[in-house]
Amino acid sequence: MKTSRVLLAATSAGFVAVLSMHAVGPSGRRSIASPTTSTTSPSTSPTTPTTFTNAARSAVGASEQFGYGTISVKVTVQGTHITAVSVANLQVLESFSQSLASQAVPLLTSEALAAQSASIQGVSGASYTSAGFAQSLQSALSQLGI
Amino acid sequence: MVGPALRITEPGGSPSTHLRQEVMGTVVTFDIFDDAGVAPEAVRRHLELAHSILRDADRVFSTWRATSPISRLRRGELRLHEMPPSVRDVLASCMVARTLSGGWFDPWSMPGGIDPTGYVKGWATQRALDAIARSGVRSAMVNAAGDIASIGGLRDGAPFRIGIADPSSPQVLACVVQLRGAIATSGTYERGAHLVDPHTRRAATRVASGSVCGPDLGLADALATALCVGGDEVLDRIEGIDDYEALTIGFDGAITTTTRFPVLGG
Repeated sequence: MKTSRVLLAATSAGFVAVLSMHAVGPSGRRSIASPTTSTTSPSTSPTTPTTFTNAARSAVGASEQFGYGTISVKVTVQGTHITAVSVANLQVLESFSQSLASQAVPLLTSEALAAQSASIQGVSGASYTSAGFAQSLQSALSQLGI
Repeated sequence: MVGPALRITEPGGSPSTHLRQEVMGTVVTFDIFDDAGVAPEAVRRHLELAHSILRDADRVFSTWRATSPISRLRRGELRLHEMPPSVRDVLASCMVARTLSGGWFDPWSMPGGIDPTGYVKGWATQRALDAIARSGVRSAMVNAAGDIASIGGLRDGAPFRIGIADPSSPQVLACVVQLRGAIATSGTYERGAHLVDPHTRRAATRVASGSVCGPDLGLADALATALCVGGDEVLDRIEGIDDYEALTIGFDGAITTTTRFPVLGG
């Protein structure tokens, strides 16, 4: 099996979860009303670096198969720090609806961003596309020399 | 084969060893947060063992591979007594999970024949974590694309912090959980796999996402599957199971938890 390894730089900026929750408790259950949660997502401005600087740089990874279609990932970095991950192209087979795939993908991007944050150690959620996502992300990072 | 472990020097909440492998059709990460002074070679050996446990589980239990023992059982080519011992162990545990979930998790009511997929990923990941724990490390985590087994916590003794993905919004966490042990999340993106209502045998979910935490990831995984399909009824059942807690995210974004679900700030 092909091994994909994604090295995520260990800096603590770039991922902030703002939580606003209220606990109410009828019959043992708690309802947490209108969770307001957001991540910081620094603006992306692709530039072509000539020297190693802190300027934002972007690359699009190769299209990878993930069982239900193909995915390619765009990554933006500052130095060696990932500041944004997004999906550049996603094609799915008819048997796997676009809407389901588009739900899985945001999770994967948040996982990639979270992984370099000191504030949380992981993300729990369901996903189909992670292997293809990781491979494409790795190829995008390789293009950037990371 | 397990490749060289990546070393990250950041102290505190970051792991000292981080390894990423593709197995079971997904990406699994292995993190050692506190090796308790265990020799790197010993840690590496146990990581290899953990990886082989996941590969073996895939070989035996993959319903995607036509030649796997479970596929042959489903087609009626082999019978239960001809299965590897692990199949019998898993199915025995699945019966317990079926009872605890009030029938909302039921591998015997899946289209296409018996399908323990909703338990197997968690079960295998828990066994991988147990293998790493036997090396003597104090704090470690195995994350199989969102289903997480762990021992220990952060170096200061605090629990791990795990985000639960918001099923509807990009790059957003619905909440953060203080984790000791395991957490599994099932969501609508899994619907094609095994989120089937055992009563109607049709794909159906009552909530957008269901998470269960507790000491064992196999049971947590099965209960999370049941929670997604059964919604509030399963949440109430989990309220009555010692050491297991549950959280659901509705299609409207509403979050509901059992009394002691360890939501950070909740």
